[in-house]
Amino acid sequence: MLPQEQDRFLPIVNVSHIMKKVMPANAKILKYFINFITGEASNKCQREKRKTINGDDLLWVMTTLGFEDYVEPLKGYL
Amino acid sequence: MDQNQHGQPTQEAVGKNQYQSNPMMAPTNPPSETIGPYVTSSFPREKQHAPQDIYQEQLNNFWAKQCQEIEETTDLRTHSLPYARIKKIMKADRDVRMVSAEAPVLFAKACEMFIMELTMKAWANAEDHRRRILQKSDIASAISKTDVFDFLEDIVPRDVGIPRSSIAQNFDLSMPPHQNVTYPPYYVPAMVTGRPIPDQNHHGP
Repeated sequence: MLPQEQDRFLPIVNVSHIMKKVMPANAKILKYFINFITGEASNKCQREKRKTINGDDLLWVMTTLGFEDYVEPLKGYL
Repeated sequence: MDQNQHGQPTQEAVGKNQYQSNPMMAPTNPPSETIGPYVTSSFPREKQHAPQDIYQEQLNNFWAKQCQEIEETTDLRTHSLPYARIKKIMKADRDVRMVSAEAPVLFAKACEMFIMELTMKAWANAEDHRRRILQKSDIASAISKTDVFDFLEDIVPRDVGIPRSSIAQNFDLSMPPHQNVTYPPYYVPAMVTGRPIPDQNHHGP
């Protein structure tokens, strides 16, 4: 990249600082998302007297909780 | 110019506005004409922000693209989130005894799609407010507008942009509690114990 061309863009460090202001919220949200799905999957396993949470449990819970859009793509991982 | 007689963009121009290479990228700006050093947009000011149905179409394209990507995936070991960390978060729940090997793999992809969906909706909100920087308030707005994100309402409060001290600034808390004064929400007057405080204005014996 030419020096003159480089001067026309904002420094990446500054941009990433702005982005990181939003990131703590996202990281926290993600933890709650995992806990939310896992908790329901755990309840399902307890009802069915099983000890291990498997992929089908997670997909069933996602469908139940309204994340059915996620299920079709994730079936490829089973 | 990519316009027909009626001033509407042709199919090619509209096609450029969809998420193509990366679903996380913002939609590109409408076609523009360069006149000397200035750039003038070929669309009227009001039409520069896509309506809700276009955002919905982008979401539909996003889900279709996710399905296609997973079908083409051969190596499941390439992932963007650490499986060990996901398993640790799952195990944080005391009721969880054992987790199968496929569960963290599924969760890694589910979390990735979750972040993408939330960010896309937050970005749509930022664009509606004519901003190019994603803020916490955009995420809060995306959460409040989507029913399935209701479980996050307590984590990301709606009034995320209001500083906490702004409530107290509207009230004069220097007045003693026995006078008629409107307290801010959740204000509890301090209990005074021990000897009473002498009146500063009274100079008697």
